Amino acid sequence: MSLAERSSPQEIAAADVLRKLAIVWTEFEGRLEATPLIRKLTRGRFELADYHAFLVNMRQQVKDGSLWMSRAASSIGEEYLELRSSLMNHAVTEHRDFRMLETDYVASGGRLETILNGKKNVGSEALSSWMFHQASQPNPFGLLGAMFIIEGLGSIKAIEWGKLVQTRLGLPKEALKFLLYHGENDAEHMEEFAEMLRMVLPDEAVAERIVMCARVTARLYVMQIEEIAA
Amino acid sequence: MTELRDSFITGTGVFLPGAPVPNDRMEQFIGCIGGRTSSVGHRALRWNGIDTRHYALTPQGDILHTGASMSAAAVLAALDDAGLGRESLQFLATATTQGDYLVPGHASAVHGELGGGALELASFQSVCAASFMAAKSAHLAVRAGETDCAAVVASEFSSRWFRPSFYEGTALIDAKGRLAMEADFLRWTLSDGAGAVVVEPKPRPGQRSLRIEWIDLTSLAGRFDPCMWAGATAALRGDMINAWSHQGPRAAHEAGAIALLQDFALLKIVIRAWIGVYLEKVDTGRIVPEEVDWLLCHYSARSLREEIVSLLVNTRAMIPETKWFTTLRTTGNVGSASIWLMLDAFLKSDSAKIGDRILCIVPESGRAMVGFMMLEVA
Repeated sequence: MSLAERSSPQEIAAADVLRKLAIVWTEFEGRLEATPLIRKLTRGRFELADYHAFLVNMRQQVKDGSLWMSRAASSIGEEYLELRSSLMNHAVTEHRDFRMLETDYVASGGRLETILNGKKNVGSEALSSWMFHQASQPNPFGLLGAMFIIEGLGSIKAIEWGKLVQTRLGLPKEALKFLLYHGENDAEHMEEFAEMLRMVLPDEAVAERIVMCARVTARLYVMQIEEIAA
Repeated sequence: MTELRDSFITGTGVFLPGAPVPNDRMEQFIGCIGGRTSSVGHRALRWNGIDTRHYALTPQGDILHTGASMSAAAVLAALDDAGLGRESLQFLATATTQGDYLVPGHASAVHGELGGGALELASFQSVCAASFMAAKSAHLAVRAGETDCAAVVASEFSSRWFRPSFYEGTALIDAKGRLAMEADFLRWTLSDGAGAVVVEPKPRPGQRSLRIEWIDLTSLAGRFDPCMWAGATAALRGDMINAWSHQGPRAAHEAGAIALLQDFALLKIVIRAWIGVYLEKVDTGRIVPEEVDWLLCHYSARSLREEIVSLLVNTRAMIPETKWFTTLRTTGNVGSASIWLMLDAFLKSDSAKIGDRILCIVPESGRAMVGFMMLEVA
């Protein structure tokens, strides 16, 4: 990208939002680090029961992920067809991810029906309800902020947690597919996301909405992790 | 009420012990653990990009200087650079990671070395960012009119903690005689020296001075466990009940709780947390990247991973590498002293023009802290 393009109003607005999102993200990481479950993981007190509780709790919310994304896509007007395509692609890529949590659970010694019959915890309930509510609004661009948080979990945290779980519990890779399978945190990823931002910016109200949506999503996600107890 | 005054850095001074030690001679100074060459060294050096450093001890393990004597030498050099002498000094703020004694504070030891009459002291112990704690204390003392001549000094004598006796006979060595990565890596990263600056309420007539615009320090220790520490084993460090002193020195040593350690998985997260604090400063306008003429960062631009550089570029927060000034390659990583070594070399390089704004950044992995200082060439 040329320097002139970098300083276009669209580019500047996207950079401003991306900066605010990165700040929300690092604040989010700090909060995650201080949750009981992650403390157990980083302080070497994580046990198989913790991993099982994690998988059961996550499945109930991950299952909803591609559903709210699909709903969001259907709420996007035809003047933003590119963004709609992007969201639909994302939804397709991820809509079977919760199955991985089930196979991980079984591969690490859990019973399939236990994870299938799991209930959403308080945080997962709040998170899913919030996502569906947002996705039902016309042109729900705020959800880009939520995607930034959720995508970051997949590209940054999953692999970190996966490696720690593997080290602590000595589980085979087949029992860690959900955490270890997620993509790398690369520069390309960031560029793709910036491209989506440029589709809806500059627009001050949208920018504000994206950042607020990221903040709420991050807080509800932390609540979901806080609620996981073996 | 008296009005706040400006504060200016009017002199800088450094003390680097001995001759520069190249990479292939490091182990002659810090020794080989269990008589075997480290397997971590090459990787650590590739990552930190250091070519030479200084040590305050000899290959035989003889101590040439102390943390206090190196600090005192740097203070005198800084006073001299400001056109002043020991008799002018009123206030001394010191910084170090680990002083010579456990008690009393390092500032007392430095004052002892300096000799002379009464001083007001402030003694700061942390890791790299201790330098800015000391600087802020001096800056505020001058600003408030409490002192007219303050010195800030930071020193490290890391190599003494890297000698084999700190590791041999401890749980940090595995059955094959190899030292744990979390201990060995730092041995290839940190080295010795001291740096100081003089702070006064007026610029020095006829000579370039640096007005201190502001100094900000942010700790995120409330969310993160220790990342670089000494005093507990890696597994038990989350709870202060496991501090070395509770087990007694011998048991703590055997457990590997005395040596300096680093958690590399956590470091990656802490680096992002630093970037978050920086981006927040850009977002609120405290730092305007385009208005920064020089960046002195206690972290090498080359060590930043591609995704971090990409994030900085995409958020219009990157300060181009052409504006970065560092001495890391030749003076090594001297912890809290590094920023003053860089500032001294930068001023002597004659690159700064009147009105230039210099941003200094000191991240501290100790327990997720980062400090920023904005200077203007006056």
